[in-house]
Amino acid sequence: MRPEHRDRAKIDAARRVTERYFEDAAARGDDYLEGVLNDTLYHEQRRLERENPSDAKTRAELAFYQGIRRELLQLQGSDLRSLLDRVTRRFSDEIVGNFDERVYQLTTTVVPAGLSVLLSAASPRQLLSGSLRQRLGEHLQIQGAVDQVRKLLEKGTLIVVPTHSSHLDSIVLGYAVYLMGMPPLLYGAGLNLFTNPLTSFFMHNLGAYRVDRKKSAALYKDVLKEYASVSLELGYSNLFFPGGTRSRSGAVEQKLKKGLLGTGLEAYVNNLRAKRENPNLYVVPCTISYKLVLEAETLIDDYLKEIGKSRYIIEDDEFSKPRKVLKFLSNIMSLDSRIVITFSAPLDIVGNRVDGEGRSLDARGRAVDPFSYVARGGEPVHDEQRDNQYTNELSEAIVAAFRRDNVVMSTHVVGHASMALLKQKNPELDLYRLLRTGGELPSLEISELAEQVDRVIAALRDNPSGPRLGRELDQGDARMIIDDALRYFGTYHTQPAAIRRGSRFVHQHRNLLLYYGNRLNAYDLGRRLGGAYVQAA
Amino acid sequence: MTDETVGVIGAGSWGTTLAKVLGENGRRTLLWSRRSELCQEINATRRNEVYLPGIDLPTTVEATHDLERVSASAQLLLLVVPSHGLRQIAYELGDHVSGEHVIVHATKGIEQESFKRMSEVLREETCVRKIGVLSGPNLARELALGQPTGTLIASRYDEVFRRCHATLHNGYFRVYWGEDVVGAEVGGAFKNIVSLASGIATGLGFGDNTRALLVTRGISEMARLGMTMGANILTFAGMAGIGDVVATCFSSLSRNHQVGLRLARGESLAEIQGGMNMVAEGVKTSKAVHSFALRKGIELPIVRAVHRVLYEGQDVQSAVRELMATPTGAEFLVSLPS
Repeated sequence: MRPEHRDRAKIDAARRVTERYFEDAAARGDDYLEGVLNDTLYHEQRRLERENPSDAKTRAELAFYQGIRRELLQLQGSDLRSLLDRVTRRFSDEIVGNFDERVYQLTTTVVPAGLSVLLSAASPRQLLSGSLRQRLGEHLQIQGAVDQVRKLLEKGTLIVVPTHSSHLDSIVLGYAVYLMGMPPLLYGAGLNLFTNPLTSFFMHNLGAYRVDRKKSAALYKDVLKEYASVSLELGYSNLFFPGGTRSRSGAVEQKLKKGLLGTGLEAYVNNLRAKRENPNLYVVPCTISYKLVLEAETLIDDYLKEIGKSRYIIEDDEFSKPRKVLKFLSNIMSLDSRIVITFSAPLDIVGNRVDGEGRSLDARGRAVDPFSYVARGGEPVHDEQRDNQYTNELSEAIVAAFRRDNVVMSTHVVGHASMALLKQKNPELDLYRLLRTGGELPSLEISELAEQVDRVIAALRDNPSGPRLGRELDQGDARMIIDDALRYFGTYHTQPAAIRRGSRFVHQHRNLLLYYGNRLNAYDLGRRLGGAYVQAA
Repeated sequence: MTDETVGVIGAGSWGTTLAKVLGENGRRTLLWSRRSELCQEINATRRNEVYLPGIDLPTTVEATHDLERVSASAQLLLLVVPSHGLRQIAYELGDHVSGEHVIVHATKGIEQESFKRMSEVLREETCVRKIGVLSGPNLARELALGQPTGTLIASRYDEVFRRCHATLHNGYFRVYWGEDVVGAEVGGAFKNIVSLASGIATGLGFGDNTRALLVTRGISEMARLGMTMGANILTFAGMAGIGDVVATCFSSLSRNHQVGLRLARGESLAEIQGGMNMVAEGVKTSKAVHSFALRKGIELPIVRAVHRVLYEGQDVQSAVRELMATPTGAEFLVSLPS
């Protein structure tokens, strides 16, 4: 974001949030503002209690909130407003951060090259070779509505909404966007990405702003959302992960968080009100598919531990260990792996399809004016209840796109098929015991597994609403697919998910098999395959 | 918005009745029918003698066969057409509507082959998002005579209810609101099957105990089906569930009840349908529901019995014997959300 825009966005976001609270206070009385401040203090206090008390940043924050608390006890009326204003501005300052413009300009030119090194695990010397881009192309496959997405940039502002399985997603997508010749996407990244030595470098180029997931106060979330909205209005395309966090189970997201998603509609109405030249917002669903996921082990463990409970925030996973990340990358690169990014057909803010010219279309392909959805008596208006429902409809359209454009790979099919067979052979075991013990037999006959793989693939092919099949599934027979998956399962993870011994498939790390198999959860395989089926929870 | 024009699409007995209510509430109402001679008759005589004989319509109601004019004049559209015709009309309407329109349908049926609900069909055929369903104990003729009743408007959008309430609610017609579109649609479609079964019971000379048994177990089946489709079970205890079932099962005015009655007297389905100028939705709905339940493995004994009588040539006596021979168990197979 350009520096003058950044400052403006920072100020506007804080101002709009406080103004909205002031409006509410006008209707509900000043007690309301006091309640908001107390709620914020409470959440911040609790968060800070868990931080290291000798840390300078923590001390400064504690001092700030103690000051606010002291004043709150003495003040009322209009002074409450200035307190709220101070807290809000502190949040917006934190979110936007203090970027050094010189660093920003440096990263804009250097980072894509740096990322190339990371992705190809190549030596810096190779950077100079002209074939680098081509080599990278071998590992990163970008497909789907690429041309349309590029074209829509001229017609309005984009919100790219990808599936989320790894911290690498934002980097990989950032790189894809660079290859497509598009400007960086603005992105709210977790603080851990800023402290991670490998990625802090990239975050700036992605136009990242800081999101502290540990801050749970409603006021903080309001400022975050408002910042996203202001940046969209300034014409900066954004990247939102609509699932909220990385998928713990490995499944493609089927429920989305509506908060951030709804800012697109807000920005659209504001654009119309301000009579901006290109008011349209386009939502671009996108799937990122990996044969192996960097953090798979931690994610599935967290999922199994936390089913039914509130999940914790993972801070210490594979991603925080640079050596692990490099091992992951160089391993999958040496296997000629592909990370497949698929852009789905772009949508408008209520979930209608959009054509190449940026026009919204109804389900029968007839042009629709998106303005009509937010118009009342010829004027664009906000309506919270209506807009929430529009966002629900948009979210349903995104979920359908994920299901349709998810690229299924050998590891997913073999994970699914092997777990289904294990479940079938051990009907008396619940999922947890099955995962721990593996049941009666330590291995499966590969011929039997191959039959199940064929059944799964046939059922997926038969499904009119997706998914896409990866290259190796389209070309290879079941045994080749199993071999391919075993090659991947044998690399990178601490313990291979499975290995081959003669004609047997030895399942070793069943949590991982479950994790990769869960990628197929959205396709109703239970009904399609009868009893030969398993999925968690 | 207080003086908005309302469009009613479909000039059958229920559409004409709703137009009459709107007109009496002082709304300018455009009543659409594909048949221009019917429109002329309504405008000339202020009556719709074919579908609502003997009832005078207020001067605020104007009949037209120009769909484009209706959607240009009115943002609130009530769609009151038989379920088998809804997709076609929705498609035509799709040429004229925008995101600003509100469409509320009052069609109690399910699309035959696809098993899609009417709101799903509307979503596929138009760009409109603000969609709702009107359903309740609403026998057209009683409402047309100004006898007190109520109805449910179910929609995800508050605005849909607000606008329907502002235009429809009055001293004899109470308009309630709910969010459960699926429940309202399943209730409205399913009650026609129960009504048909109840007609058979009446025709066989059974009394109130039998009808009450059918009604109660019918609602139980309705809820079982609805919940697999994502409905809220409480909807079936409301206007669009029990309210509608009671009205149609105990009324001789109900078409579905009539069909059941005549089946019990030994007439064939073909004979009965040949002599009716109105559609008994239960005849088609029982077929659609029966095949859906088979596919999904849902146990619906009353639906199965009605299906056997209508489509498998079973005589009503043995259908009743079979129904009474199905095993009983716990009354509630579902528990209320805590």
